[in-house]
Amino acid sequence: MTDGNVPTWEEVARDHGRFLYTVAFRLTGNDDDAQDLVQEVLLRVRKGLETYRPGSLEGWLSRITTNTFLDEVRRKRRRPADPLPENPDWVLPPSMAADEALAGGALPDDVQTALRGLPADYRAAVVLCDVVGLPYQEIASALDVPVGTVRSRIHRGRAMLREVLA
Amino acid sequence: MTPGTGEGAGAGAGAAVPGDGHAGDSLSALLDGELSPAEESAVQAHLVTCLACRHEMETIGLARQWLRALPPVEPPFGLYERMLVPYRPGRRRVAMAFLGAAAAVAAVLVSVAPAPPPAVDPNVATLIEAHATSAVEGDALTNLAPAGVPVSINP
Repeated sequence: MTDGNVPTWEEVARDHGRFLYTVAFRLTGNDDDAQDLVQEVLLRVRKGLETYRPGSLEGWLSRITTNTFLDEVRRKRRRPADPLPENPDWVLPPSMAADEALAGGALPDDVQTALRGLPADYRAAVVLCDVVGLPYQEIASALDVPVGTVRSRIHRGRAMLREVLA
Repeated sequence: MTPGTGEGAGAGAGAAVPGDGHAGDSLSALLDGELSPAEESAVQAHLVTCLACRHEMETIGLARQWLRALPPVEPPFGLYERMLVPYRPGRRRVAMAFLGAAAAVAAVLVSVAPAPPPAVDPNVATLIEAHATSAVEGDALTNLAPAGVPVSINP
């Protein structure tokens, strides 16, 4: 792919397949939904529905993935017949052994479960920050919210996660 | 569920230590290197005197560390190969409308020429060729599904 050209979905799948699946999995918290999300993202890329901005391709991909995820969450909210992905009850992972917590470790599965318990908007901000590693300004642009909101969602998301894993 | 209210409060310009007297989300911004030098000095000065904020900083820092330690996740075998034929009913309304219109035109013209095979998007032949000729190393598709192995193992 040359700079400035829109990558094809085949290039995305070939060169960034693992990255894309990782972001989708961290957002959805399970394999089935992650696969659906990846498919939808590639469909959007294929149809040319997403404006490509030369720069970080992975930043662009994670922006599409996050917005597709949030669209889906909102769509399901509007159809109450579907099981809500955002169960207000926290999904509590098995609590960690005290010595493990003291050692500063947390099992990835437990962290993922706790992440899944966050409200979708918070989860999106946290994933873009801590999993993808985007700066706040880029996250704000991806989510179309002010930087202050990004900062607040990241902070609260981390605080909730820590509370669940305490 | 939106815990708390006033999302974004305290994040205004220069509000490194907001009205409640604690650093709040400036702590995450500090950890992420997102504060201006002036804001950073203000938060650091506050941390010296505020035990609660020091504790919160530690707590948030731990959560941040755990999140950043999450490993990449391997996509399931064959995930992308299955998408080479991503035909899904309900997603082709435009294509179907086009085909309908084309059929109507064909009927009017009473053409006796056999209809050409419909174009397949993406071009599967090209993809298969690219797949077969690509190097084993560094090609995610090839690594996932070596040529000759059925791409679907669903019963």
